[in-house]
Amino acid sequence: MALDKIADKVIDTDLLVVGGGTGGCPMAAKAAEQGLKVTIVEKSNTKRSGNVGHGIDTYGIFAHGISVIDAVRLWQKKDMQGVNGPGRWVNSNIDYVLFKQGFWALDELERLGVPMKWDNGKYYWTPHLLRAPGVKAGLRVHWQNVKPIMTKMVKDRGVEILNRVMVLDLLTKNNRVTGATAVNTRTGEFIVIKAKAVALAAGFLCRCFEPETPTSYKYKFRYHYCPASISGDGFAIAYRAGAKLANMDINAWGFRIRDDATISFGNFPNNDGTPSKVFNWKGEEPPSYYYTKIAGYDEAEHIGMAPFYQSLNHLTDDYQKRLELNYNDEWLLAFKTAEDRKFNPRTHWWEFGKNKPLQFMMPQGVATDEHFRSSVDGLYAVGDNAAGVGGAYGACISGLVVGDTVSSYISEHGEPDIDEAQVESQKQKALAPLAVEDGAEFMDVECAIRYICERYVGNMRSEGMMREGVRRLNTLRREFANKIEAKNPHYLMRAHEVRNIMDLAELHIHACLNRKETRGGFVRVDYPEMDPAWNQKVTLQRMENGKSVLEIGEMPDLKQEYIDAEEGEK
Amino acid sequence: MTESMENIVDQHYEEEFEFPLWKLIKQCAEEKDISYSEASELVVPEYVKGIRYGDIEYEDAVIAAREKEMAEKRAKDNIVMEEKQAGKQLKEV
Repeated sequence: MALDKIADKVIDTDLLVVGGGTGGCPMAAKAAEQGLKVTIVEKSNTKRSGNVGHGIDTYGIFAHGISVIDAVRLWQKKDMQGVNGPGRWVNSNIDYVLFKQGFWALDELERLGVPMKWDNGKYYWTPHLLRAPGVKAGLRVHWQNVKPIMTKMVKDRGVEILNRVMVLDLLTKNNRVTGATAVNTRTGEFIVIKAKAVALAAGFLCRCFEPETPTSYKYKFRYHYCPASISGDGFAIAYRAGAKLANMDINAWGFRIRDDATISFGNFPNNDGTPSKVFNWKGEEPPSYYYTKIAGYDEAEHIGMAPFYQSLNHLTDDYQKRLELNYNDEWLLAFKTAEDRKFNPRTHWWEFGKNKPLQFMMPQGVATDEHFRSSVDGLYAVGDNAAGVGGAYGACISGLVVGDTVSSYISEHGEPDIDEAQVESQKQKALAPLAVEDGAEFMDVECAIRYICERYVGNMRSEGMMREGVRRLNTLRREFANKIEAKNPHYLMRAHEVRNIMDLAELHIHACLNRKETRGGFVRVDYPEMDPAWNQKVTLQRMENGKSVLEIGEMPDLKQEYIDAEEGEK
Repeated sequence: MTESMENIVDQHYEEEFEFPLWKLIKQCAEEKDISYSEASELVVPEYVKGIRYGDIEYEDAVIAAREKEMAEKRAKDNIVMEEKQAGKQLKEV
């Protein structure tokens, strides 16, 4: 059967970009400048979608005031392994490319029309992560409206944008990506997109854990940032297409949506190099063990020391005004939220949520090399969608790098050969929830998945608890996965988000069960010691012939050619 | 024994306050009948002038002072933890 008989619409493009956020837009603009036909598929609307949809106050981490190699080492050893444990990361060669290309990307963004400079026309550098004497690695930006600017940027370059369209699955043939199937979440149109290359820029995953809003979970989205981007769609479709996912045993980023901390994420706790203070409920500054280590927090709860609070009361008046600018640039709505909750950062504290399953988001995602190529031919992943790439800077740089280089892949490969039987099969799955009557509500199933993850694979894991989690998840899948009803195309999108979250929750539990050790924020109470066999190792998971495959990969060292190149420059 | 709950419920949230910048944005939006976002673009450039951005000496002094406080806190933490470990071996995870 011809494709146009199966699909309501068939689109033919060179590069399909899944997700029109901070990674997808710069990539699309750059690729379009190379003469490629580029299509962005965005589940929401590129004008306000993605993790910086509401704005952002600090863009970077740059090798600014520090060499590239030192930045790579510091980032890996201090920032990443400090949280995730020694010997645990993804690929330092990715960090090398991000730091190496950072200033090139800065120039490119300026050229593309994205404002990077401060009011005085200069770059404004602040101490932000990579904390070391004399290092100001963060670039403070006014990015409240960066997404409308990026949308104009891609439109001006002829990029086709499909807003309110969700990619449901990737199309592949002989381990090469050939396109994707998608659905319009307003009209219900079933769309086939033929593409010579596909780049995933759809953010990360955290909706398999519960939020910490003061409202019930169903209504969490009122003040939630970027609800659309965190269902892990880019992870799930890559996994089902056979691409490897890395580090799924590291917890998805638990919703750190706790009351007042909701009001800002970017620079808020760091505040231009003047970090917040931490107090216990009695107003004493506790040893950091109790709020930086999971076992420490657990102990603090048992001895009645918890909860802990962060405070910015110590900031000078000038720095309190800067904080207002953070709110303005990061999320204008933060003012309204704070006002509604009567939260005044000059005098009030907010709870430090270390009791949440939380490690660090950036190591998790699609496994790529430093050129952001996945294990499926022609499939790239950037930004939070890729393992080891995170934040606005990682998204922009990785997006620009792929946008700059993907044309050579495309020119070397012919037209994609679409497997129509695969399209037909994906269509049946895609539209099935529309036919379900008196079925389960998507949010009920999503909340059930979150409950399972939180209860059975939370902070303090053990074999028995996780086995029970697997059993419950299997039951949930058996009973409800095919019974989620979608009353309209919008709810069809929600049903498919739940399908993705369920697949990823399953991967998460299996990966945690397989790692029989404790390392960094990953705690197995039944295996409380680090196992040296896991040093420099990465959990990799992929789907093969409908079955989930887990393997342990080696964490690559920084390539000698990169070290030599930097030595040569010195 | 009874204890009044008044002093421990929402004690951090009892006062009314307004962010000075947010107040200006709201006023501007109302006067010009524009969105908060549009008003923000008009108000912020002026507001920024009242902040000591670019005063590197001042910024570095503030940062150094906080760094010093944190270093003192770390030293104090270490002593407490050493004492604690002497009594009970903590599981470092």
